[in-house]
Formats: sequence, C-alpha cells, structure tokens
Amino acid sequence: MLGPDSKGGWRMTNTNPMTIYRTHGRKLSIAALATVAGLWAAPPGAANPAATDAETGQRIFQEKCAACHTVGGGDLVGPDLKGVTAQRPREWLQRWIAAPDEMLAAGDPVATALLHRFHEVPMPNSHLNAPDIAAVLAYLATSAPGAAMAPATGAVAGREESTPALGSGGAATAAVGTTTALAAGTSIAAVGDPEIGKELFTGAARFRNGGPPCMACHSVAGIGALGGGQLGPDLTTVVTRLGGVAALRAFVGGSPTPTMSAIWSRTPITTGERDDVVAFLAQAALFQRPAQAMWQLAGLSALGLVILLAIIGWVWRGRLRDGVRRPMIAKQRKARS
Amino acid sequence: MKIQSQVSMVFHLDKCIGCHTCTIACKNIWTDRKGAEYMYWNNVETKPGTGYPTRWEDQDKYRGGWRLDQKKNRLHLRLQGKWGTLGNIFYNPYLPTLDDYFEPWTYDYQNLFDAPEGDDQPTARAVSMITGKYMDTIEAGPNWDDDLGGSQVYANNDPNLDGASEEERRQMQEIERVVFFYLPRICNHCLNPGCVAACPAAAIYKRGEDGVVLVNQDRCRAWRMCISGCPYKKTYFNWSTGKAEKCILCYPRLESEQPPACFHSCVGRIRYVGLLLYDASRLEQAAKAPQESLVQAQRDVIMDPFDPEVIAAAKASGVPDLKIEAAQQSPVYKFVKRWGLALPLHAEFRTLPMLFYVPPLGPVLAKMNKGMYDTADADSEGLTPMMSALEKSRMPLRYMASLLSAGNEQIIRDVYRKQMAVRLFMRAKTAKDVPAAEVEKALTEGNTNAQEAEAIYRLTALPTYEERFVVPAMERETAVEDLFPALDPVARNYPVHKGEVGIGYRRDPRRGP
Repeated sequence: MLGPDSKGGWRMTNTNPMTIYRTHGRKLSIAALATVAGLWAAPPGAANPAATDAETGQRIFQEKCAACHTVGGGDLVGPDLKGVTAQRPREWLQRWIAAPDEMLAAGDPVATALLHRFHEVPMPNSHLNAPDIAAVLAYLATSAPGAAMAPATGAVAGREESTPALGSGGAATAAVGTTTALAAGTSIAAVGDPEIGKELFTGAARFRNGGPPCMACHSVAGIGALGGGQLGPDLTTVVTRLGGVAALRAFVGGSPTPTMSAIWSRTPITTGERDDVVAFLAQAALFQRPAQAMWQLAGLSALGLVILLAIIGWVWRGRLRDGVRRPMIAKQRKARS
Repeated sequence: MKIQSQVSMVFHLDKCIGCHTCTIACKNIWTDRKGAEYMYWNNVETKPGTGYPTRWEDQDKYRGGWRLDQKKNRLHLRLQGKWGTLGNIFYNPYLPTLDDYFEPWTYDYQNLFDAPEGDDQPTARAVSMITGKYMDTIEAGPNWDDDLGGSQVYANNDPNLDGASEEERRQMQEIERVVFFYLPRICNHCLNPGCVAACPAAAIYKRGEDGVVLVNQDRCRAWRMCISGCPYKKTYFNWSTGKAEKCILCYPRLESEQPPACFHSCVGRIRYVGLLLYDASRLEQAAKAPQESLVQAQRDVIMDPFDPEVIAAAKASGVPDLKIEAAQQSPVYKFVKRWGLALPLHAEFRTLPMLFYVPPLGPVLAKMNKGMYDTADADSEGLTPMMSALEKSRMPLRYMASLLSAGNEQIIRDVYRKQMAVRLFMRAKTAKDVPAAEVEKALTEGNTNAQEAEAIYRLTALPTYEERFVVPAMERETAVEDLFPALDPVARNYPVHKGEVGIGYRRDPRRGP
C-alpha cells in the first residue's frame, strides 16, 4: 500500500523519467517531464535513496519479470502489474515474489486462481532476496494509483490515475499492443520471418550469439516425424497456451524458466531472431501435429529394429548355434537312415 | 639369449591305462564347486574320438590358437583381432555350448531310502546339476566315447581323421582291427598362450618364475574370449562366479615341492614333471616356423641345462641355481630334447605347448594266415616285423602325425623307430630271442645306442618318485623379492625383473592388527 510512502523516504516511488517513458509510453511523456522537473526541484537528500531503490527495482524487473509481465503494458503470460501494489497486501506480494512455487504448492487461493486465469503457466522462482523484492515492489508502487509522488504536481498524479483505464483498454499498450491483437494467430509476417524462424528452430541456421537450436530441447509440429528434444515442452500450441504472440515474444526474449535462462543468459537471443522464432511458432500453431506422425515414428523404429537384427544376424552368422555335438550326431543319423 | 625356466610335463601314452584317477584327483581338489560341475581341468580322452568338448581340435568351429600370416610373417589369433574383440565383446560367437561339454548330472540317491512301498525296486534317477530336473536320457558325458575305438559316431568324427583315406577309415572300423589309446589332457601352460592373447581384460598371465598360466579372478570380466582363444579348450567359464577358470598346475603344491595332484595320483605312472630352460628371445621365431618344422623349432627353443653358456645366461636373467640344477635332473628334458621321444600336442596351433606326449606304440596290423597271425613278411627296407610295424601299424602314422607332430610323419617315424629299438634291445637282454645283429640294426635305425636305450627303458619302466617328479623349491620369497625389492619402499612398486612372457601380479598380504 502506498500509505506509508509519504512518511518513509525509502518508499518514495521511482521517478526516473526514462522508466516512466518506457513503461507508460509517449502519453505519459508530459507527466514524466513534469515529474523530472518536480524531482529536480525537490531537495536531493530526500529523493535520491528512493530513486536508487526504485531504479534497482526496475532493473531487476527488466531482467527477471519482463518476460511475462508489463507495468501498464497489458497482460502477457502473466498479468499486467500496474497498480498491483494497491490490489494485494504487501506481505502477500513479498511472499509470492520470493517463492511462487512454494505458495502454489501450498495451495494459496489467490495464487491458484491466478494460475488458472493466466494460461496455467506457473510463475517460476526467480530467487530474489529480500532487498531485491523490496526494490521491485518499490518500482511497482510507482505505477499504482495514488502513487502520486508527493513532490510531483497534481497534474501528474491525475494522469497516472487515469493510466489503468487506458492500459486495460488494450489499445494503449504502445510497445506490444500491435502484436497482442494478433494473438489469434492470423498473421505476423510483418514482424518476423517464419521461414528463418524455422531454420533457427531446427538448427539449419545458427543463432548469432551461439545459442543452441530450439529443437535440441523442444519439439513442434512441422519439423518431421521424429520431432525434436523432449527436455522442454512441445511448442506446437505455445502461442495459444501462453496467451498470444506478444506474450510469447516477451517470454522468448526473457527466458524466464530456470532451464532456459541458464542457457540464454550466456548466449542471448537477438530481437530479430526472437521475432523470427516467434513468427515460426505462431505459424506452427496454425496446424495440429499430424496424427500419423506417431505411426511414422513407430514405423521408423520397427524398420530400424529389423535392419539392426539383420546386421546382427549377418555379423554373427557363424556362431555355434546348436553347438557341435548335436549337429554331428544328427548328421550321422541322417547318413545312416 | 634370454633364459627362463618353466615347469613342463611329459605324459607317456604307452603307459596310460585310461583309469581317470588323475581326473578324479583334480575334480575332488579343484572343481568340486558350484558352477564348476561341468569342468574337468584334467580329462582323459579316448583316441580316435571327438574328445571334450566335442571336436575341440576343430578350429574352423572354435577358432582357437594362432594363424600365421605368411605374407607379412605375422601371427594372428585365429579368433579375432582387436576390432573383432570389440565387435564381439558382448557376444563371443565361437563358444562351445554346455552340450558340447556335457550337462553335468548326479543321481537322486535319497529316493533309494525314501521311496514309498511299491511293486518296483526304487531307483536313483539322474538329476541335472544345471536345472535340478530329472534327466530321462543322458546324451553325453565328458568321456562319453570312453573305450569306444572305431565307433561310428564319435571315433569316426575325430578331426585327426580328416586326412585319412577311405581304406584307412574302413580298416580302423573293422571289429578285429579296432584300435584306440588314451590321451590325458591338462592345460599345456603354453609359451605362446592363445588364452592370454585373447583376453580383453588382461586377466590371464603366465607366471614368470615357473610359467604357470593363471587367471586373475579379480580382473576377469567374463568376456570368455580365452575359452575360444585356447585351442585346447582348457579354460572354462564358471557360471556361478562369472569368472574364467583353468588348470593351475596345482601351484600351491608346486610351491611346496610336490607334483600336481594328477601327477601324484597317476596309477600308470605315465606322468613326469620337471623344469625346462628355454630361450625366451626365440619364442616368436619358433611360433612362426613353417608347419612341418614346428616341432623341431620348439625343441630348438629348449636349451641344454649342462651347456656352460646357457647356465651363465640363465644366471644373468635371474634363474636361481636351484632351478638350474633341477633342470639338469629334469626327466622332461630327457624325453623331449635329449631323446626326442616326447612331442607337443597339436603344435600347429602355434601356442608352443609345454606338455609333451610320448606317442603310444599301437598294435601291429597283422594278416590272418591259416588261423594264425602272420607277421613274418619283412617290409621294403628289409626290416624285421617288429621294426616294420610302423608302416603296418593299425593306427596310421598320419593320424599320429596329425595329433603330435603338426603333420610331419617323419618325426613320428623317428620316435617309433627309437621306441622299437629300445623294445628289441630289452627283449634281447631279457628274453634273449633276438639276434645281436638285429638289435644292432634296430639301434642304428632308431638313431640310438645301447646306453641310451637302457636309460630310456629305466625312465620309462622303472622310474622312482624322485625321478618322475623333479620339482625344485619354488623359492617364492626370493622370486617375489626379485620382482619387487621388498624393503625399499620406493622400488617396491616397480618390478625389477619383468617376466618376458607374463607378468605376475601381487598384492601385499593383509595382516591382522
């Protein structure tokens, strides 16, 4: 809650103009500028610690949360977090960010409801420590209604309060709004090239920073009967599963799961590559994995087995199958009869 | 010259009565265990016959021993090379089946006591020692063709008869001309062992100090390549322990100056044990000799223990004086090298076996003349019937050559002539019915003299225990110290003398607290 904000200096909301610009888009630019002006006007001793805190929070948010969440940018895989500090008790948020897996396992009703609402994709544990969580919350608090910074002007506060309405309207999401509309999977040709995406996925083309092809861990329809790896989930319907192209794009770009982040934090995917891969996956969602693929696989396995047995039979054709004595006796008997 | 000593054996086949006492002595000491029921480290075969396991001499089937690549002058295991070993590592295709050995069985003796009252006499039915079930028909045993010379199935399928003519085959099956002899077999403790070469785990080794070939039970990984690699099929697989086992030449007995149990128990006293000094640097050359001169090449490897040069070389390579003395006393040296009577079994396998056989003098092939056997007609060389017996032996020379001289009939002929000369010499001496001129001629034909004939006779017919078994003290303590200088903690782990044809493994004794 924002109540204490006016009292505790460290809870002062983030007033970094660039953050606000990035998160809230051009419409807020005036407000942001005004905030900047207000901040600069404010005494530095009071503003600086708070600004640092929220700034850290923003950085962490970009690193760990932005793959699934926006602040005022609309729902992706996870919900838009604008104003979340006002909606949920601070204590709940702290626990949730610290260990979402444990809370889900414990069956927290709110968490479970959210899980069902947001594509059944559980929030991964990002292993944030208490100061990090506080920083993230501080950053999120800047977007909350009523987070009107004390030093800022009334006009800014008023603008901010109106933002949720714009955000929930969908059209206002400047950064990703255009692609969110394409969640149905009609066409995203303009954003990425599905052909290049397929090549990247299968490894025919290499990722620029040396990341492994998606196929190493994931399977998807349309790349042959044998499919891809089994470590990660099948991605045939990932677009609908994650709730749209925008969500997928953010997800791929951010690599939030522990397995993916372990790989992609060292060999980051470029924006263009991300768009291409997402374009391919969005396209792949257009058709179902053909049923006969499984039969093809079974057929190939059976054929391989037959070939293997034939090779074994040929290589070891000289083995003493029935021993030596029995054939010797049989031959003698036959000769006599 | 790199002189090493080896405990070697001679079996005098003329004296073997086929009683299997050796087999039982060995069985009771070493293979009376679970998983070893089918094993006979020592077995006695009737020849002609297929032996144990069935047709073990047929290397087209079992792929044992070595093959000489004449173009490159290299020896190759007949079984397989390194890649073949890798390819067949989980499945060796050339193993004898259990049926080729035999399915071991016992009898349900308890039934003789426990059977309920009934109309019939209770019987002890055969029970398989593999499955534990009753066996209605016992089809084969380790000496199934025992005493069955000329049998249609077993004797007729002897691989040594592959070269026999139809005439010879028919002759050998005629009921009155049937002939057979016994062939006791143990591990030959070869100088160029196929089993050692075939082992992918390097578990088999030839002890440097006495040449005994042993399987390290710790290292054996049950690949069973040794079983194929040995052309004599004298390594066995224990199905209970999952390790290969073979004749150990009773080395615990050897180390306490006793002959191996099969030697000791031999009723016919056919067995001789003694040391041979051989030149290890010439082994490869001997193993690569052309087939007809393989026996001679092996004789050439064995060195004269009285030759001062050999003695000096032996001392230089660490053979203790005690062993050199024992080699001078060795009955094996006399039979194999000095008299040239004892021959290696199937030298053509090129493993340089160190167990030698004195071939048996088979009965003479005689003609019936007016109801009497007529042996009077002299042969082309004008020799008397006794001496001409070779050409007329019921057991064709070719058969004996196939068995004991890698096909070289001349060697067999020489051996027989000498044996015959000894017989004639002794007959003239005891029965006094042979003219002196004939004895003289026989001795010349046999390439021997009265003194040698007397010596051969004595060692063949009247040897004492000490003459048959010349086992020197093995001096394991000093042998081990030679390999690992004991008190030097650094050098301890590095063998000073490394056996050229085998490395001994040693573990420090575990002592109590």
